[in-house]
Amino acid sequence: MDVMSAAPVVEQLSREMGISTAAALFDGIPPHPVDSVLSPMFRRGGLPRGELVTFTGGQSLSCALATIAAATKERKWCAGIGLGEPAVASIADLGVDLDHFVNLATPPEDWLRVVSILIESFDILLVDPGFLPSASERARLLAKIRERRISLISLRPMSGSTEQIEITDTQWSGTSHGHGRLRSCLVRARSQTGIHRFLLPGPTGTPAEAPSVTQAPAVTPAPVVTPVHMTADAGAPEPVPAGTSAHVPAGASAGVPAGTRTGTHLRQVIGGVG
Amino acid sequence: MSAEPARTLVLTVPDWPAVAAAAERDLDPSTPVAVLHTGKVVAANAPARAAGITVGNNRRAVGFRCPEAQVVAWDEDVDNRHFSAGVGALESLVARFTLLAPGTLAIPLSSLRHGYADEPSAVEALISALVVETGWEFFPGIADTVFAAVLAAGQARRVEPGDTVEFLAAQPIRTLEYAGAEVNELIDVFWQLGLRTLGDLARLEAKDVNSRFGAFGRHVHDLATGTDRSALPDHVREEQLAVERVLDEPTTRSDTLGFLARQIGAELLGKVRRQGLVCTQITIELAAVAGESSNRTWRIEDMNENAIADRLRWQAEGWLAASGHGGGGNERVGDTPSRRQQDPDIVDEPAPDPEDFSADGIISLTLRAAELTTPVGATKSLFDENTGQITHTLERLQGLFGPDAVLVPGLQGGWDPAETNLWTPWQQTATPVRSPRAPWPGALHAPRPTTVEHLAVDVLAANGRPVQARPSGLETEPRTIRFPSGDTEAIADYSGSWPIESGWWDPEKARYRTRLQVVTEPGRALLLSKENGQWYITGRYR
Repeated sequence: MDVMSAAPVVEQLSREMGISTAAALFDGIPPHPVDSVLSPMFRRGGLPRGELVTFTGGQSLSCALATIAAATKERKWCAGIGLGEPAVASIADLGVDLDHFVNLATPPEDWLRVVSILIESFDILLVDPGFLPSASERARLLAKIRERRISLISLRPMSGSTEQIEITDTQWSGTSHGHGRLRSCLVRARSQTGIHRFLLPGPTGTPAEAPSVTQAPAVTPAPVVTPVHMTADAGAPEPVPAGTSAHVPAGASAGVPAGTRTGTHLRQVIGGVG
Repeated sequence: MSAEPARTLVLTVPDWPAVAAAAERDLDPSTPVAVLHTGKVVAANAPARAAGITVGNNRRAVGFRCPEAQVVAWDEDVDNRHFSAGVGALESLVARFTLLAPGTLAIPLSSLRHGYADEPSAVEALISALVVETGWEFFPGIADTVFAAVLAAGQARRVEPGDTVEFLAAQPIRTLEYAGAEVNELIDVFWQLGLRTLGDLARLEAKDVNSRFGAFGRHVHDLATGTDRSALPDHVREEQLAVERVLDEPTTRSDTLGFLARQIGAELLGKVRRQGLVCTQITIELAAVAGESSNRTWRIEDMNENAIADRLRWQAEGWLAASGHGGGGNERVGDTPSRRQQDPDIVDEPAPDPEDFSADGIISLTLRAAELTTPVGATKSLFDENTGQITHTLERLQGLFGPDAVLVPGLQGGWDPAETNLWTPWQQTATPVRSPRAPWPGALHAPRPTTVEHLAVDVLAANGRPVQARPSGLETEPRTIRFPSGDTEAIADYSGSWPIESGWWDPEKARYRTRLQVVTEPGRALLLSKENGQWYITGRYR
């Protein structure tokens, strides 16, 4: 890492919108609060604002809805795009305030256009994109969400995301070959902060702690295979020892817009200096 | 309504649900009628009460006491419909009145002062006119506050001016239930605190009640002390606040409709403004030449004629497209935006040629003020962030993709998530089809599926044959699920199957289905339902 490159990067950063102080760079905008069961999955304990987060795998829609629940209760507006017809009862079960949720039944191919309109006033957008945006569209989208401090959640892998939550395993319980009914689902999720196990939905429909307290180990096992649906430059979640999560090279891949890259660079630069 | 006591006359029809039910069925007044709700009698008319039927009896007790009694299910609609039809007679007699509940109405006595010499003669004149018109029995009650007058009407008495506080103090605490169903919880608390009469409650300091029970407790305290001065919303004659325009020639052109809508919208809003009111909801009714009509109620935050014109245009476009009037879906709302992107030439053509459709276009427009409030009542919430911007954004999307593209969630009654879903277009009034308060035996428990769909699939047993469902359970073990695309997924586990039978008393509404939850090999959970011999995926846990 080249220390000499710090000066131009700082200068470039000072011209960038939205980052006025060094504290803002490191602490950033405070994230949206998240249910206590889910908050360990996020690097800063909450849903980051101005960034793109992806939720993939089984139960990812439930997980995303449970994540936005606390924010909607604080009167933050959330819109769902391309989700089909969600069941209102389950949205309410997951804790989302129905008065601050809107579902857009727009054609899937128009999702980018709908998002670009909703960005003007909404706080959280939950998207199941009908198609992936081109590199230039994505760059513009990411710049816009950073400027408006929107939390954009995508239910498909998309490059440029700063946090990726991938649900690797779901185990439903309650049924036993013709008896009982679905009670809860034990979910194993992998994020930048390690591997997490919790019930989603738990017995009451809300997320709950996993019954046996087997917390994720400090050092996560290396993944055997990268999931096939991840694109090559998707900034695939590199499992790292939990202690070093601050330095996850989130935007270090090729297709990331300039803004995030400079931010990450500076962190690395300063980290290298220290 | 200032410091002067709001002396009020309340007229109430005893056992209104029973009276309405009898009127609905054209029963003789001497027939005993008992109205049942959730298995308990909620109202019984005089002959039924004479036979010993009381409120709270169950069906069997009714049959035991009076076998010839007509037992009918309570229907809110019937209650309201008959009452509002009956009180139409009152509109020509008094200037202002308010419908408190079906069966009960309130008239401020100040509005009777000029027409009648004193209170008794006014009451006599009104009641005799109403009885002649409707044939119902009315109990009058007069007191200094509306709440006291309601209680007085229950006892058919007139409380002298100034005696209201004493009258209220003697009433048992249970009478607070007339103030609304949400007071019931408080009544129990008051009872446990040893407050037996309204007088006991009134003796408490208002500020103590406020700090313990909040604003609602304070309101109840005001009722008990007879200091409630909140003005009742007047019954506004709605035909005065409607505007109708019959077109010379039927049209399907949205620009013509928008132009007309702006005119009559301005006319309606002018009328509303002259009444010193603000209109927050508006009902738009469109009539086609063929006699069909489309009726929608819209809530508009910043009501003006342009907003009304937009809503009318959307409604007309959606309706014409759906009913095929607009020319074979040529102007389907949902298609317009994407077409617009691909083919910019089409944009300038607002609608198909009107001549082709002159036979079945829209022939008349009616605008009706559906909800009226005072200007203060129409202000937005202080706490919500940027509601105005949200409204603006969503209205823009509605303009682009049609009103039905922007949906807000709501819940209604039902067994399955597909039935409890109540997605309503933004700014429209939600109208639940099934009551959420009614019991729904067999309704799905949490965890519930996250998305709803209705996809026909095959559920196969080990031998490849479809799985049959019996009321006692599944005939064979389900092993595989086959999607319409031909893909199959192995079933790892499945729940008990449970049958749901609804509407068995009415062959048109009767539905029988079997519900099953399955978990497939990849760990996905699905909600299945078998109806008329066909399995459907009705929900997915995603």
